Amino acid sequence: MTKSALRDGLDSDGRAALRSAVRMEWATIAFLAVTIPVVGIVTGSSQAMRAAWIEDMLSLAPPLAFLVAVRVMARAATPRYPYGYFRSVGVAHLVAGVALLAMGAFLLVDSTLTLIRGDRPPIGSVEVFGESMWLGWFMMAAMAATIPLPIWFGRVKMRLAKELHNKVLYADADMNKADWMTAVGSIVGVGGIGLGLWWADAAAAIFISGSILWDGLKNTKGAVTDLMDTRATTFDDAKPHPDIDRIHDHLSSLRWVDEVRTRTRDQGQFFHIEAFVKPRKRRMPRLDDIERAQDECRALDWKMHDVVIVPVRKFPETASARSGES
Amino acid sequence: MSHRARAAIAASLIVGLGLAGCGVRPADVDGTLATVEDSGVLRAGVSENPPWSSISGAEPTGSEVTLIERFAARHGAEVEWRAGTEEVLVDALHAGSLDVVVGGLTDATPWLDDAAVSDVYTEVVSPTGETEKHVMLTRAGENGLLMELETFLREEVDG
Repeated sequence: MTKSALRDGLDSDGRAALRSAVRMEWATIAFLAVTIPVVGIVTGSSQAMRAAWIEDMLSLAPPLAFLVAVRVMARAATPRYPYGYFRSVGVAHLVAGVALLAMGAFLLVDSTLTLIRGDRPPIGSVEVFGESMWLGWFMMAAMAATIPLPIWFGRVKMRLAKELHNKVLYADADMNKADWMTAVGSIVGVGGIGLGLWWADAAAAIFISGSILWDGLKNTKGAVTDLMDTRATTFDDAKPHPDIDRIHDHLSSLRWVDEVRTRTRDQGQFFHIEAFVKPRKRRMPRLDDIERAQDECRALDWKMHDVVIVPVRKFPETASARSGES
Repeated sequence: MSHRARAAIAASLIVGLGLAGCGVRPADVDGTLATVEDSGVLRAGVSENPPWSSISGAEPTGSEVTLIERFAARHGAEVEWRAGTEEVLVDALHAGSLDVVVGGLTDATPWLDDAAVSDVYTEVVSPTGETEKHVMLTRAGENGLLMELETFLREEVDG
């Protein structure tokens, strides 16, 4: 049994959340493995359906990225990779983001050209049990059938992403939650064709491409920001991560500590924290004190994977104070 | 969010599946089918490709010519034939001066981007042993006419 750096880093709740997340991502892939061929078969010449189909295929990327990252993250740090493999989450996030961005941009241009050319989508009929049925109904039914499950996936994954502090999972959940808009968009587009509105299809396709492009922008920005070692934030990038304040509070409460500044890197799953400490009366603390403080900081939360305490006379300029202080 | 989502699911299920149940026909962008029925004229293009279609005589002949004439008659219309090469006819179809085009076309037709290709209505094996799947063209976007023609062809060919 190889040592798993990822599981060792999590507490028991975290391990359970990780297991659920892996299960949810496999379930998502299984769901897409069914819907992608079905939507592909009924797509026909509707541009909106084509966009929705491509989005379905692209939504495979974040679950795959997550599952691959979980595998890679499990590897223990080596002399060659001294910080471990935790950054693989960021790399996976970036790959998924760029894929969405490129495909969204392509589809947006393609759909806009379709609208400008005034292409009229031909949608014929098929024979089912001796009856002629318009293919448009099958398209709408297929898209309607893809609505409920992703919403549920999205909600569960959102909760797990918060628990695990995993931004790929968060991005995936966010996309799943918004997926119903794509489905409704393509239903409206095909419905528009049914009503004889030739532009409805291309307009719906533009709407869908726009949502893919938006997802791509958001994810690429998030991934790049994280890889650039931005200040650690909560899983949804809404605010600075509260754990950093807890480190400040804990270290400031120690007898030998006068003042604290920190620099934090979010490595994707875990934090790497440099805590600069001005010792009281400029007296060098004992090694035991530093070691104990380190262990106590790490015990605050499993996210504090690596805490380095550096006694200093003068703080580095970029190290930050507790939020709300300067 | 969840309420809106649920409402969206419900609405789309009702609309999608409800309408799928009955064989409702889509509307034409330019109302071609209604125009054909009102004016009593179906404007059809035909190119030389016997035995499916031939323009060597005074009047067009061939199995597809017969089918189109029967289809028009069912809608109380006469066929106004225009003979030409495929390219000329497809251009006219695209521009809206023709409603349908026949000429022994198969589903391998290169005119996919300029016209609506009907469902395959019959298959024959060519002398070289290849299966040819025969189709007709209608103006793109006139999905009501397309479905009506496809339904007609299915009934005619299946017996």
